[in-house]
Amino acid sequence: MGADLSFAGVDRWLWEAAPELGPRSVGGDQPSLEVVPTQRELPRMTDAAVIEGRAVLAHPVAAASTPAFGGFLDGTQTSRVIREADGIPIVHGTVAAAVRQRVDRRLITWRHEVRQRLYAPRGLLSPQWNALLDRAGLSVVDTSRGEGDPIAHPYAVRDAASHRVQEDREAVERSLAEAWCASMVEPLLLDGGTSGSESLASAAQLVGVVKSHRTLYVSGAGLAAVRGLRAGERSSVFRIASRHRAAVASWYLRLRGPNAADWMWGLVRVEVADLPDLSQAVLAERADRISGWLLSERAPLSLPDARWDRMTYGIRDCEEFLRAVS
Amino acid sequence: MAFEIAKNFSGPSVEPGRSAGEAMTSANLAEPLGRVVATERRPNTPHEFHFWTALDSPVGIGTIVRVDSAHPIGGQLVHVYGIVVEGLSYTDLQSPLHDVMAHDAMPASASHAATERAEVRLYTAAVLRQVPEEPLQPVPMGAVFLADEADVAVALRMDGYLRPGARTGIPVGVYHAGGTNAPIYLDADFLIGPEAAHLNISGVSGLATKTSAIEWILSSIFAHFPESKGSVAAVCFNVKGPDLCFLDQPGPIDAADAALYEQCSVSPGPFEHVQYFAPFKADGFSLNTLRSNEALLHNVSSLTWGLREVLQYAEVLLNKDDVDAKADALIDFIRDRVVDHEFRDDQLLGQKRYMVRSFADLEAWFRDVLAAIEAKPGEGYWRTHHVATIRKVRNRLSNISTRCAGLVTDDGAVSDLPFGEFKDRTVYVIDVAALEEDAQDLIFARVVTKLREHLEKRELGVNHVVVFVDELNKYAPGDGPETYVKKMLLDLAERGRYLGLVLFSAQQFRSQVHRRVVGNSGTAVYGRMDADELATPGYAVLSQAVKTKLSTLEKGQLMVRHPHFTQPIFVRFPRPAILRGRDGAEMYPQAADVGLDAAVLRGLRSLDPSLTLGAVQDAIGIHEAEDVIRARNATLRERPANVLAFFRAQLRPIVGSRPVVQPGPPPVRAPSGPSPYDF
Repeated sequence: MGADLSFAGVDRWLWEAAPELGPRSVGGDQPSLEVVPTQRELPRMTDAAVIEGRAVLAHPVAAASTPAFGGFLDGTQTSRVIREADGIPIVHGTVAAAVRQRVDRRLITWRHEVRQRLYAPRGLLSPQWNALLDRAGLSVVDTSRGEGDPIAHPYAVRDAASHRVQEDREAVERSLAEAWCASMVEPLLLDGGTSGSESLASAAQLVGVVKSHRTLYVSGAGLAAVRGLRAGERSSVFRIASRHRAAVASWYLRLRGPNAADWMWGLVRVEVADLPDLSQAVLAERADRISGWLLSERAPLSLPDARWDRMTYGIRDCEEFLRAVS
Repeated sequence: MAFEIAKNFSGPSVEPGRSAGEAMTSANLAEPLGRVVATERRPNTPHEFHFWTALDSPVGIGTIVRVDSAHPIGGQLVHVYGIVVEGLSYTDLQSPLHDVMAHDAMPASASHAATERAEVRLYTAAVLRQVPEEPLQPVPMGAVFLADEADVAVALRMDGYLRPGARTGIPVGVYHAGGTNAPIYLDADFLIGPEAAHLNISGVSGLATKTSAIEWILSSIFAHFPESKGSVAAVCFNVKGPDLCFLDQPGPIDAADAALYEQCSVSPGPFEHVQYFAPFKADGFSLNTLRSNEALLHNVSSLTWGLREVLQYAEVLLNKDDVDAKADALIDFIRDRVVDHEFRDDQLLGQKRYMVRSFADLEAWFRDVLAAIEAKPGEGYWRTHHVATIRKVRNRLSNISTRCAGLVTDDGAVSDLPFGEFKDRTVYVIDVAALEEDAQDLIFARVVTKLREHLEKRELGVNHVVVFVDELNKYAPGDGPETYVKKMLLDLAERGRYLGLVLFSAQQFRSQVHRRVVGNSGTAVYGRMDADELATPGYAVLSQAVKTKLSTLEKGQLMVRHPHFTQPIFVRFPRPAILRGRDGAEMYPQAADVGLDAAVLRGLRSLDPSLTLGAVQDAIGIHEAEDVIRARNATLRERPANVLAFFRAQLRPIVGSRPVVQPGPPPVRAPSGPSPYDF
């Protein structure tokens, strides 16, 4: 096929290459799988080890007078079913990530990457479909690989595809973050956590900002302290460590609010490298400094994005850029 | 073979510490400065397109750009040339309230924001030209480049008249944008004729832009008018102050102006050949002009007309309220049968012969005619003309020499422009600034008519004449009565180009000038404009941004419309290397009014600088002032080799005095004989 790897381009190629396998997709007009309700991570609460003092307390922070972040990193993903091969969904996925560098208070693209792929359980497809996908000219990810016996339920196939698309997006983000850390000295603000990768989790320039709180790392008095944070206050630093993820230092920071109807409004969780052997004073000073950087990013507002209370403008700018190029 | 595509970019191409704008101004014109964009709401058309640029790009209102299409049409890549007519800037801010909220309603804190919002500079350009011109399609998407000098020539269709061997370009100024400095040429065929002609300039008063621009354009015409098209001269009416009184005197220019002169290939300097004409003041011997300083009188001539010259244009001075059909018939009769003819009417005037050549002769003729009619009670008519009509015409005509004193002479002396002997590349300035409106109208009407008559016969001395008239809204207003001068200007605007008679006109408010006059001006030039004027319908075709730029134009900037240009173009022109009127008036102050002898000396010295006041006083002696002035005028007109001798010869001889012998009372008859009583 040609160089047009977009959903429409691949759809056109499939129809032209094998019209006997069915009509063209109408998926381009349908919402992406990312907005279709699927089985989501269950809300949970877990206590993390406090490493700044003995209990989770509120610490007032002053906004930094000069911006410190040299860049902002965010990624996006879009996946849609492009064909059903004998009832098995074939998903077209686009992942993209960008680092927008701040130069003279303006954001320009430091580097970005866009990837398009097809996602399908090759083991469930007929030889005819597999042959067609082999000729498709773009990478086809076998979603049945390593998952045991593939299930032919369309929802399961779609979920598996979405999961792989997400992995690809994280890989692209990770690639860019590593490139930044390898060549730049200024801090990079990453949308999301850093604990998914050992290399990112240990990168000193990387600051992850988590906007969703399906997992709360405090409970009891700690939760009350976090809930009671006022704008410009952070929690004590705690360590997040698990078998599947790298250990990072983390704390809650209230950028705005609070909102009487939603105590999570304006609340973010910060993840940074868990540097060993830091004294309490240094640990606190580091958390204050990074929190100050984040507080200084409260303007401009990220409106009209619905998450504007927790989203810095640099991250919104990344999303707008990726919307334009992917 | 399966592969995956990854578009990797490594940041902006601008070097660190060097903005995109700087990169552009350093003549790196090969780099695109923008991209064409179109949306459903804001689509491109064949005559308009939109593009965005970097924030520091050198694009502004009036910038000429080139679009290179990516896809060929009929095997040829399309190039579209446009001029920026509107600019928009906006950010991703959805509501002003969001910015207020972001900075807690404290503007000072806004400057501390870590990041500036994404900002868009979106421009709208009007299409100047598409190459190829067919098929005419909406402007395609493509890269936008700053037009270089060659692009400007193509965009404005100047390439058609700048070809070697067929060059008819007249530089009007320099277009400047980014790193581009391109001379802008007008087509002589469309400026001087015959394809189109005339130039009109508008602008607010006080900046001297209009006068300077006309002086500059005339200089450019004199420097570049192709020899193949013949000769050209200019007749300028100085209607206010000393504006045009020092066109032959050099004035200072700075380096920037010198560069503009060089780019336009015009030598900086005053006009080499200028001839001034001005009537006398009411005293009949002092020139009525601010250029009366003795040091500048060498090329100043008096402008005086007699009855013959004036009567032909009586219509100018006698409006229809004054002169009805009956009076008009009598004036025609006088013009055709009386003036310059031997007139006799045996029935009324007996054997008396009349040769009317001056207002004085005409007055004598009227006096005799009326006396004769009144001597015949009961008739009241002479040759179908009622005595009241005759009285009215006498009154109006006799009044002319009073109303136009200094210009119109009672004695019929004539000093005129050198019709038939006009010289190539010469400016003839007629100073009418200090005259009454009637006299100005008379001068304008007669001069233009004479120019037209001579051009029709191809015997003016030059092939083309540019007539410059300032304050056009006064002479050809859009409303008001139909005056002779207005009709003449309309005729000049509509038919002058066929004859080589070209009108360069200026005014503050173009909207107040007769539409047919400005409408026939092939070239329109605008200096800084008044906002109220720009709000009139005549400027509706201009975008708001162009209007705003027009209302804030700097001195030395013009907006030019020309038949070859599909859109107005902004140019810079140099300050003329000519002494400005105000400076000239200080450097060469007006000569003080002097007595008759000194005035005569001043005039005659322009012919013979060795003359002394004593010699002139000796010559004048006890002659009457009228006689002296007549002799002076004759001398100036004839320009004899021996000035003083000629002047003396013109004075009427004075009969020598003789003792008067008082006759005594009649003598008593003498006695015839020796005896006293011898009766």
